Amino acid sequence: MADVIDSMLDLMRRLPPTRTEENVNTLVGICPDEADELLQSVDQPLQVMVDRATGREYLACDYNRDGESYRSPWSNEYDPPIDDGAVPSSKMRKLEIQANEAFDTYREMYYEGGVSSVFLWDPEDPSGGSNFAGVVVLKKTMSPTMPYEPSGSWDSIHVFETVERGRQAHYKLTSTVMLQLVTRKGTETDVKVPADKKVPENWKRDGEVTLSGSMTRQTEQDWPLQDSASHITNIGKMIEEIEIKMRNLLQEVYFGKTRDIVYDLRSVEDLEKARRQKELQKELVGFIKR
Amino acid sequence: MDATERIQAASQFLLQSPPGEINDVLNDIRNIISDDELLQEGIQPALREYNIEQFTVVDVPETNHLSIISEAARLGPVSEEDDAQERFLDPRSKLSFEFDHLSLEASDPQPYEPNEEHEPFRLALETAALNYLKAHFTDGVIVVLSPKEGSTQYVIQVVANKYNPTNFWSGRWRSEYTVDLESKQVAGKMLINVHYYEQGNVQLATTNVISFDLPPHVLSAIPNNTAASKILALIEEEERKYQVSLNETYQEMGEKTFKGLRRALPLTRQKLDWDKVLGYKLGAELAGTNKSTLPTS
Repeated sequence: MADVIDSMLDLMRRLPPTRTEENVNTLVGICPDEADELLQSVDQPLQVMVDRATGREYLACDYNRDGESYRSPWSNEYDPPIDDGAVPSSKMRKLEIQANEAFDTYREMYYEGGVSSVFLWDPEDPSGGSNFAGVVVLKKTMSPTMPYEPSGSWDSIHVFETVERGRQAHYKLTSTVMLQLVTRKGTETDVKVPADKKVPENWKRDGEVTLSGSMTRQTEQDWPLQDSASHITNIGKMIEEIEIKMRNLLQEVYFGKTRDIVYDLRSVEDLEKARRQKELQKELVGFIKR
Repeated sequence: MDATERIQAASQFLLQSPPGEINDVLNDIRNIISDDELLQEGIQPALREYNIEQFTVVDVPETNHLSIISEAARLGPVSEEDDAQERFLDPRSKLSFEFDHLSLEASDPQPYEPNEEHEPFRLALETAALNYLKAHFTDGVIVVLSPKEGSTQYVIQVVANKYNPTNFWSGRWRSEYTVDLESKQVAGKMLINVHYYEQGNVQLATTNVISFDLPPHVLSAIPNNTAASKILALIEEEERKYQVSLNETYQEMGEKTFKGLRRALPLTRQKLDWDKVLGYKLGAELAGTNKSTLPTS
C-alpha cells in the first residue's frame, strides 16, 4: 500500500480546489502525525494581512508562520507579536528588504494591484555559505461590487533554493499558481432578446460558473553571480519567465481544454443532421464518380 | 477524531469525487482511514447519496439499454423502518431492480406495472427524448418518469459522462426537467462538472436553473404525441441557449477577469529590466500608472 501522505496528496489532486482549506483541515484532523508534511506539500490560498507598524499589506503563508503568528516582510515584526519568533540574519534580512522592493515593482507592472511578499531563510547549515532559500508570493483578488459581476483570485507561490558555485549560482524553483474565476448569471443580467425570438412566458434563469484550480511547475537554471543582489535579478528573471509560461498554460487549460470537454459532452450542432449530411455527401461523391 | 467523525470526514470526501473518479477517491480514503471494517459499514449512505445525486448510470438486467439512478427513479421503502430493500425503476423496460451502491450493479429485475393514465404521455416524451439524445449527446443516457403518486410532474433526466484517465480528464453533464401539466410549467436544472488533472487540478463546476410556462401551442396539443415533441424542442432550445451563454461566460472570464488579475506583459509590452528594477523603489514610476492607485508605503 502507498504511503498515507501519497494518498492524501492524490486525494487533494482530485477534490474541488474551491474546498482545499476545508479538506486539508479535515485530513489534519484524521492524521495529526502527517500534518506538517501535508501542510508543506499542499499549497493553500494566501491570506492578506496588514502590517501593524507600516499599515502595508503583506501575505501570510506557511513560510512566514511561527506558531500562530506571521512575520511581515515590511517591518520584520510578527503578528500577533511573539518574543522569540524566527527572523533572518541581518545579512539575509538586507537581501530580503531589497527583494521585497524589487518584487513590489514586478507586482505593480504585471498585476496592477494585489499584494506581494518575499521571505528568505538562512542556510540550515551555517557552513553552507550563502546557499539560502526563499519564497516569493503574489496575490490579486477581484471582488464583485454587484451580485452578477465576475470575481476571481490569482495566487502565485514560488519556492526557490540557491546553490552558489563560484561566480555562478544554481537555482531550483517550484512554482504554483492557484486561479479561481466565478461568474453568476441571472434573468435580469440577460440582454433583452430580439422581438422575433420567442421566449416562453415567465422565463427565469439563475446560474453560476466556477473555474478553479492550481498548476505546479519546476525549473532549474544556472545564472552568473556578481554580488548578492544578483540573486534577486536571477530569481526575478526566472519567476517572470515561468509566470508568463504558466499564465499561457492556465489560459489554455481553463478556457480551452475545459470548454472542449463540455462540447465533447454535448454538441450544439445536431449530430443526427451531421450524420445524414455526411451520408448524403458520400452518395453524391459515389454518384459523380460513376 | 473518533470513528463517527472519521466516517463523516470520509463521506464528505467521497461526495466531492469528480466524474468517474469515485474509486480513486475511495482508494485514497481507505489508505488514509486504514480501517476497512469501519469504512465498509459507514460509507454506504455516502455512496448511495453520491449515486443518486450524480445520476449514476446502470446497466439494466435483461435489457440492452442503460438507465439512471436518481431520487425520481427510487421506489420505496416507504419509511425508514421498513426493512424492504430499496429498488429503482427503469420505466423504459418497465422493470424495477435492486442496486448495489459499491459495485454499481443492478440485480433481481422485476416487472413494474406502470400507471395506465400517465403511461401514454410518458412514452411519447420518452420517444421524443431519445431522439433529442441522439441529436446532441454521444455518450448520453435519458430517462423519462411518470408522475409519482400525489404529483403531477413528469421527470426527464439526461446524463452524459466522458472519462479519459489516460489524458487526465473527465466530464459529466446532468440535466433534469419536471414537466407539470397541471401548473403548465417546466422547471429544470443543468449541471456540468469537468476535471482536468495533468500536472495540476483544474475543475469546472456550473449550475443553471431555469423555469418557464408551457406556451399555448404546446398546451393545445396535449395529450397528443406532438405535445411531447414540442416540449422536447423547448428543452433543446433551453440547453442550446445555455451552452451558448456558457461560451459567452468563458469569453468574458478570459477577457475581463483573467486579464484583470494578471497582465500577459507590462504596459510597456516588454519584460522587466531587472537591473533597473533593483534601482527603483516604486513600480509605478516604471509603469507610468496613476499615482493615486499606488499603495501607500
